[in-house]
Amino acid sequence: MISLLSGHAVLVFVGIPVLVVAVVALLVFASSIANGPRYRPGLSWWAPPVWINGPAATKPDPANLPELPGAPGIPATAGTGVARTTGGASASW
Amino acid sequence: MPAGDAFTPDQLYDIERAVRQAEEVSGLRFSVYVGGADEETRPFAQELLNELADPDHSVLVYVDPAGRRLEIVTGSQAKRRLSDTSAGLAALTMQTSFATGDLTGGLVTGVQQLGEHAHQAPLLHASEPHQQ
Repeated sequence: MISLLSGHAVLVFVGIPVLVVAVVALLVFASSIANGPRYRPGLSWWAPPVWINGPAATKPDPANLPELPGAPGIPATAGTGVARTTGGASASW
Repeated sequence: MPAGDAFTPDQLYDIERAVRQAEEVSGLRFSVYVGGADEETRPFAQELLNELADPDHSVLVYVDPAGRRLEIVTGSQAKRRLSDTSAGLAALTMQTSFATGDLTGGLVTGVQQLGEHAHQAPLLHASEPHQQ
């Protein structure tokens, strides 16, 4: 009788809380499990390069990249496919 | 999401849609590159811009997640429509999102902002008196 009561008590006071904790944890981590690894600043980057709306789907071969414009004494000319004077902005985080 | 991919298909779709919208609004070509650089990021981003079909009318957004660097490069004609100040504001927006780990949100918002700023064409002949 005592063993039956203790088994039932363990089920109620340990089993149910463990089950609740497991469900809550699953709900919390479900989105991150589904989305895979997430970018975390400061940690290593794991993914291959992605170029959206680029000339090709893959990363260009650095050996085939055109020369940079604006080199001293070498004025870039129109029609070469190379941007002449560029603008923009830079930032880091 | 396949292991090793930077973005989920949904995230890629969101970024591509922002790029298309920015192109439609501004008339410029937008491109986004996310990856590491073997050299200084600015020259590398300029090389990427030059790889595009029409670099003079293009805007390239380069993100180096590992190096935590962002470069916005505008072509020679594109920079007439999109000033460095506007690019800097968009960079600030993206920087804030990137710092919290939200690459997709930062790119979508930043590209949209770039497109909207480029849409505002310079006001010509504003000082001319009205002809009666």
